[in-house]
Amino acid sequence: MGGMITQKSLIAWIVAWIAFAVFMLLLPQYVESGTLRLIISANFVAIFAMSWDFLSGKTGYISFGHPFLIGIGAYATAILNYRFHVPIGYSIPLAVVFTLVGGIVYFLPALRIKGTYFALVTLAFMELMYQFTQVIRPDLTGGTRGISGVQTMLVGARPNYYFTFLLMFGIAIVLWLLSRTRAGTALDAIAMNEEAVSGSGLSTTKLKLFAFLVSATVAGIGGAFYVHYQGSIAPRAIFEIDFVFKIIVSALIGGASTIVGPMLGAFFMSFLFDYLRPFLPGTERFFLFGVAALLLYVYQPKGIYQIVADLISGLRAKFAGEAGNGKAA
Amino acid sequence: MAKLLEVDGVHKRFGGIVATDNLSFTVEKGESLALIGPNGAGKTTIFSLIMGEIRQQEGAIRLKGEDISRLPTHRRIQRGIARTYQVPRPFADMDVAGNIRVGMMPDSLRQMLMRGPDLEAELEVALSVGFTEADLGRTPSTLSMGDLRKLELARTLATKPEIMLLDEVFAGLTVGEIAQISELLAKKRAEGMTFVIVSHDLRALEPLVDRATAMNFGRQIAEGSFADVMGDAEVRAAYLGE
Repeated sequence: MGGMITQKSLIAWIVAWIAFAVFMLLLPQYVESGTLRLIISANFVAIFAMSWDFLSGKTGYISFGHPFLIGIGAYATAILNYRFHVPIGYSIPLAVVFTLVGGIVYFLPALRIKGTYFALVTLAFMELMYQFTQVIRPDLTGGTRGISGVQTMLVGARPNYYFTFLLMFGIAIVLWLLSRTRAGTALDAIAMNEEAVSGSGLSTTKLKLFAFLVSATVAGIGGAFYVHYQGSIAPRAIFEIDFVFKIIVSALIGGASTIVGPMLGAFFMSFLFDYLRPFLPGTERFFLFGVAALLLYVYQPKGIYQIVADLISGLRAKFAGEAGNGKAA
Repeated sequence: MAKLLEVDGVHKRFGGIVATDNLSFTVEKGESLALIGPNGAGKTTIFSLIMGEIRQQEGAIRLKGEDISRLPTHRRIQRGIARTYQVPRPFADMDVAGNIRVGMMPDSLRQMLMRGPDLEAELEVALSVGFTEADLGRTPSTLSMGDLRKLELARTLATKPEIMLLDEVFAGLTVGEIAQISELLAKKRAEGMTFVIVSHDLRALEPLVDRATAMNFGRQIAEGSFADVMGDAEVRAAYLGE
């Protein structure tokens, strides 16, 4: 964080991104559609985890109600498309605009409160939305049952796989680039010491609003496309604390504030969850969720990102050492 | 000479406690003013008021003749005033270069997104407070108290202030570190920087100031040359209980 951006490391990053994309795009040739379905849902979790990370991982304003934003995007496009027959090409962009408005509302408490209090208020936002969708205009939202039969965009595992991966990949690249700018550095600084950021002559309100709006945009895009992949939406599936935990644990396990970490974390958690299914078919899997998070936390609190980074620098040092020895001999 | 900073009849109460009581003083451009007084006199409070971290109930604070009392902190800093804190508050997970980088950032999202950091300027600021190029990659947890004070000064200088408010710059430093920081401040003073300095280390403070103002219970009790203020009966009573 805040380190020098060297030419060499940038090239290494570009190579890594390209290798990742090539690997993921070739994958459907070798794996069955069940695995592809799993990766599709992991792609969505990754989008939500990165959205969370750009807000909470960076600025330290912990969002416990991220489904509030995701839900606005999801419900907006579902209602527009299903009830008012707005074509997807318009309903999704409109849903993102609605989510942006939601993001501004979500931001307002951050003007005055922070820490635990802010986190609790965001949780309240999610609960409110959960109640609203059921009570207010159930003729639009479908009430407790939600809406099913929403138009899906693509048919089959492969097309959905390619599409969701490219969507996730594009979002990852954009957020990663944003986080490497000076604005990204300033957002990191807010998490460390907000007073010192305004003490550096910077408007923290402006910076925070930026983080909230970027996060909301990504959450809105993710939520909207998720509905058109699932073909249905229900309040219980979105405004759910388990869903919040899945997002946050993915981000933290991956490595908060790194964007790449939460993306990896989402894949790790999705596969772990699926792997455990035969052994633990019920909700007790969520218990192991916590255990996995705890174990990783004890080992490396900065997450998978840091483990991989240490591994690479360790290998580099080893090879450099061997090369040196070779010369000496 | 032009008045750079004017504190004019500033009154601040915290509930029933009067922290600054109709306090007035001015600092001229290029001048260095010592602000002294016993613990609880209101020295840090007046710094916080000048920076807009807290707001006064009455009175005005003017910078270059313009009332800044209603401006938020970051706007005041943009107008050329900055402070350091008694307890250094670095960005803990960022290296020295990163800390300076945040201080140098323009308050424009567009520029922050479009333009990368000016590594040369960062190095220049780091060198100007006595860091070496090798120190740029160090994180605050590996720095000594003296280095943390330097970092605090570097981050403050990075905002390009015309006047700096220094709160207990010598607290917690070794004799060697005090000499280092003193030398640094003397150099900045020679370059024309304006200072208001709070310190309990009067011996280190004296050579760094042109003038002194003493306060107790939020009121100004003496003003004048450093020697005169230190010789003032009320000041001696406040400090020593004579």
